[in-house]
Amino acid sequence: MNPFWQNIFRKRPEDESVAAFLGSTPLFAELDPRGLSTLEGRAHSRRYKRNETIFEEGDPGTGIYLVRSGRVRIFSRSGEKNERELASLGPGDFFGENTLLAPAPRTASAHAQENSELIGLFRADLLDILRKHPSLGNKILLGLARVLSERLQTVEKASTCAQQETLTPDESDETETAS
Amino acid sequence: MSIRTPTRTQALLDYLVFTAAIATGLSLFSSASNILGLLRTASNGLFLPLLLTLVVTFLLDPLVNLFEGEKISRTTSIFIVYLLLAGIGTLLVSLILPHGMETWLALKQDLPRYTARFTSLLSDFQTRLHQLAPFVDGYDLPAKGRALAERFVAELLLQTPRSAMTLGSLLILVPLFTFFFLRDGQRMLRLGVALTPNRHFEMVHDLSYLISRQLSQFIRGRIIEAIIVGLVVTAGLACTDIRYAPLLGAIAGIANLIPYVGPIIGMIPGILIALVDLGIGGEFWWILTVYILIAQVIVDSFILIPIFISRVSNLHPLWVILAILMGGKLSGVIGMIIGVPVASIIKMTLIEIRHYRATFSLPDGGDERG
Repeated sequence: MNPFWQNIFRKRPEDESVAAFLGSTPLFAELDPRGLSTLEGRAHSRRYKRNETIFEEGDPGTGIYLVRSGRVRIFSRSGEKNERELASLGPGDFFGENTLLAPAPRTASAHAQENSELIGLFRADLLDILRKHPSLGNKILLGLARVLSERLQTVEKASTCAQQETLTPDESDETETAS
Repeated sequence: MSIRTPTRTQALLDYLVFTAAIATGLSLFSSASNILGLLRTASNGLFLPLLLTLVVTFLLDPLVNLFEGEKISRTTSIFIVYLLLAGIGTLLVSLILPHGMETWLALKQDLPRYTARFTSLLSDFQTRLHQLAPFVDGYDLPAKGRALAERFVAELLLQTPRSAMTLGSLLILVPLFTFFFLRDGQRMLRLGVALTPNRHFEMVHDLSYLISRQLSQFIRGRIIEAIIVGLVVTAGLACTDIRYAPLLGAIAGIANLIPYVGPIIGMIPGILIALVDLGIGGEFWWILTVYILIAQVIVDSFILIPIFISRVSNLHPLWVILAILMGGKLSGVIGMIIGVPVASIIKMTLIEIRHYRATFSLPDGGDERG
């Protein structure tokens, strides 16, 4: 085919589409192609430059961001200049999922570490999906509940380990005898 | 430090640069006003169709959402709603059109009689006033009233065919625009919101959702309220021998869109016709009861407003009067009708933004966070 027509009728390869990217994340892994395509229509693709602010601690939070390309630094501030890095996220990772269901101020800040593309899905979009496509909305909610539950379990385990580490050897002996 | 005096060449160069800058500024300003003028001419007459399209879109959106689902696409569901409406519309037109033409012809014949009676009522009123207060003299009330009534009748006879033409063009434009607003409205809104800078995108997106939800509820509520008040007035008037009950009901319903002043304007034609045709008697008092007590107090204030209209959209009477005056100045009678809803919409938008800021305890002076 002539390159001119080839360019006009060129289709984007499946794996390049936002739908394919969404399907590759654990949150939306259970969705079928039709559901992913509907979700693609609701999601927002945003490009951030290096060091650009995505959100700051205390900003109104109403949705989740998925990193499609680039890197994002999540950190909290304990003073004017004291920053504590909490995570550095890469392609396929997501953050801010806690505020998707219940809007709340952001508990940490997020900045782009390098030029990045993020896919945002917000409460308004989720409510719209739930109203128009209830079964798809339910699948998304189930995925979200699963991820939140996994994260809660991880935090619980980490907190139990930390507690055990802080217990003095005598105390831990007492605990063992008691049990 | 010594100040260097410019040479003749430098002074000439400065003079030329300043002149060129002023000339460029003037030509830019002139071309900008030309472009604005062109835009104004091009968009002249589009305001009403676009506004009506927005109202119809907000009204039909829940119906389209009802049909849209996993199996039926949005476009198909819009076609289903249009087909349903076309069926209902055809049925209504076939029922109303002969009756409507009859009413119009009868009204054309009756109008001189009503204006004559109106003038004689004014004359009686002036005689009584003169008896009560003899110092009120030299003001020919009946002549002023007659002139006003004649002007109104002439305007009505002249404007009606022109209004019918406008209505014809609206009947084509509004459904066409509504189709695209219903199908692509969400996408258009998303494109608009997508222009927001990254830093404020999330907040603007959420606010646009909250505001459009409030607006759709408000517009839907107002239209349903106007329809029900119109139907109640029509039914109440139909119990008497008054003529043009459906027309008077429609006027009362449309006027009801304007708070405070609207219901009073809406009842004037009905009371005038009742006074002329029926005289002051049992039926006249019943008509007055229908307009004031049943339609306004019981149905509108006690039932409809608490159900359909949020208290948030209530405007201070001063703002209502200002909105009516400014609306009237901008686009006549239609401007007077839509002025108040537009003012309510602005108020609701501001309240929603304030509520949003309060929810997330944002500082009022912008995001100057350390």
